[in-house]
Amino acid sequence: MNRQQWQMVAVLVVVVASAALLLSLANVGTHDAITAAREATLHRMLVQVMPDHDNNPVQQPIRIKGNDEPIYVARQHDRVTGFAWVVRAPDGYSGNIDILLGLTPNGAIHAIRIVRHQETPGLGDGIVRNHNWVDSFIGRTLDNAHWAVRKDGGDFDQFTGATISPRAVVNAVHRGLTWFHQHHKELIKLVNKHFSTPLSKKKE
Amino acid sequence: MKKREILANGLWHNNAVFAQLLGMCPLLGVTTSAANGFWMGAITLLVLLSSNTLVSLVRHQVPHQVRIPVYITIIATFVTIFGMAMDAWMHDTFLVLGLFIPLIVVNCSILGRAEAFASKNSLGASLIDALGMGLGFTFALVVLGGVREFLGKGELFGFNLLGADYPGFIMFVLPPGAFIALGFILAVVNSIKQRRALASRSIAGETMPQPVTA
Repeated sequence: MNRQQWQMVAVLVVVVASAALLLSLANVGTHDAITAAREATLHRMLVQVMPDHDNNPVQQPIRIKGNDEPIYVARQHDRVTGFAWVVRAPDGYSGNIDILLGLTPNGAIHAIRIVRHQETPGLGDGIVRNHNWVDSFIGRTLDNAHWAVRKDGGDFDQFTGATISPRAVVNAVHRGLTWFHQHHKELIKLVNKHFSTPLSKKKE
Repeated sequence: MKKREILANGLWHNNAVFAQLLGMCPLLGVTTSAANGFWMGAITLLVLLSSNTLVSLVRHQVPHQVRIPVYITIIATFVTIFGMAMDAWMHDTFLVLGLFIPLIVVNCSILGRAEAFASKNSLGASLIDALGMGLGFTFALVVLGGVREFLGKGELFGFNLLGADYPGFIMFVLPPGAFIALGFILAVVNSIKQRRALASRSIAGETMPQPVTA
């Protein structure tokens, strides 16, 4: 290679190396803040779907085989007041809908919130904007409701011009409740094991 | 070029959107509301300022043959850093715009400024160029976002202007509305430019061209 070509290589190496250095510095500088911001967002959501609690549910989720999503446990005065986890509706109008499902210990819905979706603005996104609809899930259990939209003969409204999104949400919540019902004993066992020792001792 | 000319060039005469029709992807993608448009514009402005600065500083060191990879690396680095910072300290805005932030790298108006301006001009001039172009782009994003938000939802920057019983014009929030609204805005911009051109010509003593009639 002649001198000019060496110069090109040198310039590229210097530029890429500096870019890599800058990016790693930025990564180190923002990593903790990003984790904190994500936890805060999750916690803000959790507070909305969980009964009163005095622990930080984000920090000690429970994991169960067969369910990829961590299960967050709300506790007050060392007693479990509720559970919450994300259920996914794979059959939204455009892509997955992630729903945060909050239950009381005996399996009644405390509240639900849509965490992530790409439904059509103005139509399908009523699953987020229509508060009456979102609140129509409160207090429902596996047995006290017919789990389908009205068009399919169930208890939950669809929207004008949008049936697919509410149907997907209703079905996903129903699957979540069924799962909870089937794994209830296992879950209680895990919770007892998980929280048998006070948090402060566990870390030592 | 004088500083005022460079600034006016970016803001209006050679506006990235209204004149060059560049950066269409973020433009059409994020402008569902005026606020979204504003933040996208602000991040783009920051990237432009940073990349123009650095490109102008290293313009004598970078061999002509490898300038494009060097510019793209510089731009991509800044975009990633600003994306991380936004994720960390403006998390809620990031949740809305996050998807479009990495795409700023391929916004050709940024590479365009590096190549066409910063690589040939001093640091000061490049900074002013970045400021003009960035503000011009932000202006276009806010105008398009504002029009779509107003027509689509009856709101502006989240404030309800048309009352709660405004039925909404969903199409303007959806992608087709972006193209339609942009088309009308471009028509207005072009007619303003044409009128100005005519006015300045008539001041110069020329006769007004007559409108063509069939």
